[in-house]
Amino acid sequence: MVAGARSEAHGATPVLMSREDATINMVIAALGGEGGGVLTNWLIAAAEQNDWWCQSTSLAGVAQRTGATIYYLEFMPRQASERPPVMSLFPAQGDIDIAVASEIAEAGRMISRGFISPDRSLLIASDHRVFGITEKSAAGDGSVDRELIIEMGERYARSFIHFDMSEIVQRQGTVISAALLGAIAGSGALPFAGHCFRKLLSSGGSAPANLAAFDESFRRAQPGGVGEYVPPEVKAFSLPVASNPLGERWLPRIADLPAALQEMAYHSVNRLIDYQDEPYAEEWFSRVSALIDRDLDRKSYSLAQEAGRHLALWMAFEDIPRVAQLKVRPDRESMIRSEVKAAAGQPVAVAEFFHPRIEEVAALLPVSWGSALLRSHTAKRWLSRLLGPRTLRTDRINMQVLLRCLAGFRRFRRSTFGYAHERKMIDRWYDAVLSADEHDVAMAIAALGRLVKGYGETRHRTTSRLMQILDYVEHAPDSDSSKIKALQLKAMEPESNFNTGHAVSSNPELA
Amino acid sequence: MAERSFTDEVKKLRAGQGEVFKGEGILAITKALLQSGVSYVGGYQGSPISHLMDVLNDAQDILGDLGVHFEANGSEATAAAMLSASINYPLRGAVTWKSTVGTNVASDALSNLASSGVTGGAMVIVGEDYGEGSSIMQERSYAFAMKAQMWLLDPRPNLPSIVDMVEKGFELSEASNTPIFYMMRIRGCHVTGEFVARDNVAPEFHSEAPVTPNREPEKIILPPFVYAQEREKIAERLPAAIRFVEDNALNEVFPGRYDSVGIITCGGSYNTVIRALQRQGLADVYGETDVPIYCLNVAYPLIPRELVKFCAGKEQVLVLEEGQPEYIEQGIQTVLRRQDVQTRVYGKDIMPMAGEYTGQVMLEGITRFIQAASRQNIPMKLSLDVVLSTETPVSEEDIGRLMGELPPRPAGLCTGCPERPLFSAIKQLQEEMGPFHISSDIGCHSFATAAPFNLGNTIMGYGLSLASSSGMRHALPHKAISIMGDGGFWHNGLTSGVTSAVFNEHDGLLIIIDNGYSAATGGQDIPSLVEPNLIATTLDANQPKRESWQDIEDACRGAGVKWIRTVSTYNIAAMKETLRAALTTNDAGLKVVVAEGECMLNRQRRVKPLIRQAVSEGRRVKRARFYIDPETCTGDHGCIRLSGCPSLTIRENPDPLRTDPVSYVDNSCVGCGVCGTNAHSAVLCPSFSRVEMIHNPTVWDRFLDTTRARMREWWRARDRKRMEQRQF
Repeated sequence: MVAGARSEAHGATPVLMSREDATINMVIAALGGEGGGVLTNWLIAAAEQNDWWCQSTSLAGVAQRTGATIYYLEFMPRQASERPPVMSLFPAQGDIDIAVASEIAEAGRMISRGFISPDRSLLIASDHRVFGITEKSAAGDGSVDRELIIEMGERYARSFIHFDMSEIVQRQGTVISAALLGAIAGSGALPFAGHCFRKLLSSGGSAPANLAAFDESFRRAQPGGVGEYVPPEVKAFSLPVASNPLGERWLPRIADLPAALQEMAYHSVNRLIDYQDEPYAEEWFSRVSALIDRDLDRKSYSLAQEAGRHLALWMAFEDIPRVAQLKVRPDRESMIRSEVKAAAGQPVAVAEFFHPRIEEVAALLPVSWGSALLRSHTAKRWLSRLLGPRTLRTDRINMQVLLRCLAGFRRFRRSTFGYAHERKMIDRWYDAVLSADEHDVAMAIAALGRLVKGYGETRHRTTSRLMQILDYVEHAPDSDSSKIKALQLKAMEPESNFNTGHAVSSNPELA
Repeated sequence: MAERSFTDEVKKLRAGQGEVFKGEGILAITKALLQSGVSYVGGYQGSPISHLMDVLNDAQDILGDLGVHFEANGSEATAAAMLSASINYPLRGAVTWKSTVGTNVASDALSNLASSGVTGGAMVIVGEDYGEGSSIMQERSYAFAMKAQMWLLDPRPNLPSIVDMVEKGFELSEASNTPIFYMMRIRGCHVTGEFVARDNVAPEFHSEAPVTPNREPEKIILPPFVYAQEREKIAERLPAAIRFVEDNALNEVFPGRYDSVGIITCGGSYNTVIRALQRQGLADVYGETDVPIYCLNVAYPLIPRELVKFCAGKEQVLVLEEGQPEYIEQGIQTVLRRQDVQTRVYGKDIMPMAGEYTGQVMLEGITRFIQAASRQNIPMKLSLDVVLSTETPVSEEDIGRLMGELPPRPAGLCTGCPERPLFSAIKQLQEEMGPFHISSDIGCHSFATAAPFNLGNTIMGYGLSLASSSGMRHALPHKAISIMGDGGFWHNGLTSGVTSAVFNEHDGLLIIIDNGYSAATGGQDIPSLVEPNLIATTLDANQPKRESWQDIEDACRGAGVKWIRTVSTYNIAAMKETLRAALTTNDAGLKVVVAEGECMLNRQRRVKPLIRQAVSEGRRVKRARFYIDPETCTGDHGCIRLSGCPSLTIRENPDPLRTDPVSYVDNSCVGCGVCGTNAHSAVLCPSFSRVEMIHNPTVWDRFLDTTRARMREWWRARDRKRMEQRQF
């Protein structure tokens, strides 16, 4: 089944008509500050307009944002006798008709809590992600598998309506509750006409935006409505046609590489030419060629792919000239303007937070000067007065001139102290990849390139941990790929002390 | 100014006889208080009854018109002491707080009140913070009701019952001269519904019609009167209460045709019981039941005659009470055994001892009970196996896969929160000085104990952090560190913390977070609230300070603190240095750092309309937010580990060669500046920038901007041309 679609496990219409003997039960999972309370009030008002009983309750917690919140509603038509029904205050497993989640992982949480019954529950969710703190703070990629949750929803809900409501409301300039209401109304799960819901949104300053989001969501959620949704195509990569002499020189060579490597090689060569010059890219190319020869995976060339990618990234390491170069990129200004939603012609000031340290200055000097500077206390003291935290207005002319000058320093890069230092580490890692006996071990060492991250102290920590692992690989006769992988995971925990010997001996799976 | 405004909703409180009142449980209680002719109300905020305080606060006009006195009390103890007004005079009064924590704070006054007895109805509305959504340790208020002998009402959670029980509760209190707990569960507080209103009743006594001072020495809690008071509790007040409950049928019996069995439930759980029976085909949606139910709207005391009458002739009954110990079940056993009624009592033997009785728990329990009650063949729609399997339709394998993909969502600090930079500073300092042991407190700052800050070891109670560090301070490698909010400081911390610490020559550091409000409970005002702009913030504004401002620094100095500094939390470098100084100084005595920064939620609520207005009036306004360069960000997320701001998140890396996500600032950023300050003080990376937009720019703004833009455009055109040759 296509992601972002509506699934009908039993092919039945999802409309739950009023049943005189029971309530329609709805649970809403939202995150603090998302307007779950507002949505609940709209639903109550819709019920009231149609002369239905509606009872709601919530676990909104206190004022804190970001936590998960639950709202629970029950609906029932009023009888002539006006006798009030007894409604429950708890969403109960096996007793939910409609479950609504403002975000896909929260839909997953409802599935895990048993609120989604295959024979009964309609699940409506926006399938975008709002990342949790553990996902965000991981040093690598800690985000959870969205597709898995969607797949579970498809299987466990009687019917599952999901699409990216966050995108809709951002485009319309409103909040997710309006789109959720649209989806609830559009699904037809509550026997109230669409105009009843629309009426609720049609007052106040944000009415046009709310209505637009509601309508779009309403259409998408209607039976057949999600057919309009076209999942983004994954474009297959193909090399462009040469448009300049550079392309004429390089494109045929890249086209000769195994197909699996062409995209990576195309980006890498371009990056290194931009970073330094053609000879620098040439160096990369010959190293990757060596990797290709060595690669036992003759189908997807996984070793050359992984090592080549990390090699290009590391060779284009971020020093002062590189950062300066990126900061004056031609398309950067328009990117910032669109990101902060600046109006056309509106003055926008950009203040950047830089904190150059002595080490970064030394890295810019010729090799002997650089090491001399780091040894000299007097020079360091004198220089440190000029350095430290700086907030620079890069939209101003003077800073543009400064940044362009700094970017120009890249001409001398290959004779600098910093370059020599990085080069030594790159070579050591590359040699280790190339000289590994087994494919698995070579792959594991290649993947260590992922550790090279950050600036300043962070960068020092990550690369020195990488070097420690290489030490271990060289000296421990029993090092295998699983050990290297475990060490890498440990090295990616930024707040722990890292010691290769201890990391291996304390891991029960490896000891 | 509280987080949620009830200004519109409180108008409903004027509803008169016969009008249909629609709204939340909390609002219904307020209306019921007015219909009962209360003379005074008070309390202390805290979930789930924060909104009750907010409603009362926003309803001051209506209260004033009726002559009802309202106080936002300094603590639950203050609120409980207020009830002493009902000891000598026929004044009806009600106070409210979060329980059991608030009840614990109030216990001294409550015990004395209960011993003295009351003349006017005295009611404590406790928000029983138990079960899912709770923010405190799990205990029952029931124990306090028993030991102090206060009656505990636990009404069915629908608005008519809630309102009736408030009114009846006051009568019960007066009929038995006993103060009353009126218990509201979390979901009951927030339940919506409707009831038919009655007219509000003005209290008999108020500022225009004062009481005549009247001394009744026998009501003072000194010997010998206390012995007489205890005897009176047993000999007079309890029988009077039982009589009143019986005569007024406060507890309800719902008959059913299977009369060999029965269910005894607390009022608060009644709806869940009906739902379970309904799912088993033993009740309908209107509450018509086949299994007889005895519903305890008065959970304490038990009414022996009613119990015996209900149980007589029944073979089995099931007692449903949430939490432990099972006081009600024990009480029922005692009553039945003394009367030699041989009904088998099921309770915690088939129900879980701990935790809420949710829909599933109730369904399981009732199914087990009906199955055990086998003599009468009671048909059920769902067998026990089916019921057990509804708990989760998800296969074990899928659950395993799913659980790994569900990110925990602990409550965290809001976007732009002034407490965030403080904890960033402490975390950075910890990296330099080694691991800290920190005594934490109640408040938003409690969340620093969770990711990404992971700062804080113990939480002992509201305003108790400094006190709780005193037994530890001689055994720590660093000076003891305690963190307290301004709310906790005024609630309790000044006396039990600061005063005691100075007296005992405590050498540690106390950080008081001054954000101007009792923020965690919903942003209620507190004594040290200055007209907010005096509190250091990142945006500028100017308004005079409130006249009756009570200053934290002055209070500490008055208590004898010599070393005290006030620092803006947003200035991370200064904060780090001040904290370092406090932890390394040789000066003896308590070191206090007041960490100042206005609660950003309140600030945004206050400032946003002003900014919008200024923009629309054509005034020059600057607005800032942060931006992260996706090209220079390497995806280490060190910035997030120092911040945890909701607006600082991650997204897919646009770089085709990188796989780890980049950090990203979304449009909810309020431009508080912490990201930039962290980038500086922790030497993070060059990816952060503050982007400032000018609304309604002046001619000079435009001139500067255009000149710069032209120059940059000239460069850009040149660069583009060059790049065309350098890229393919």
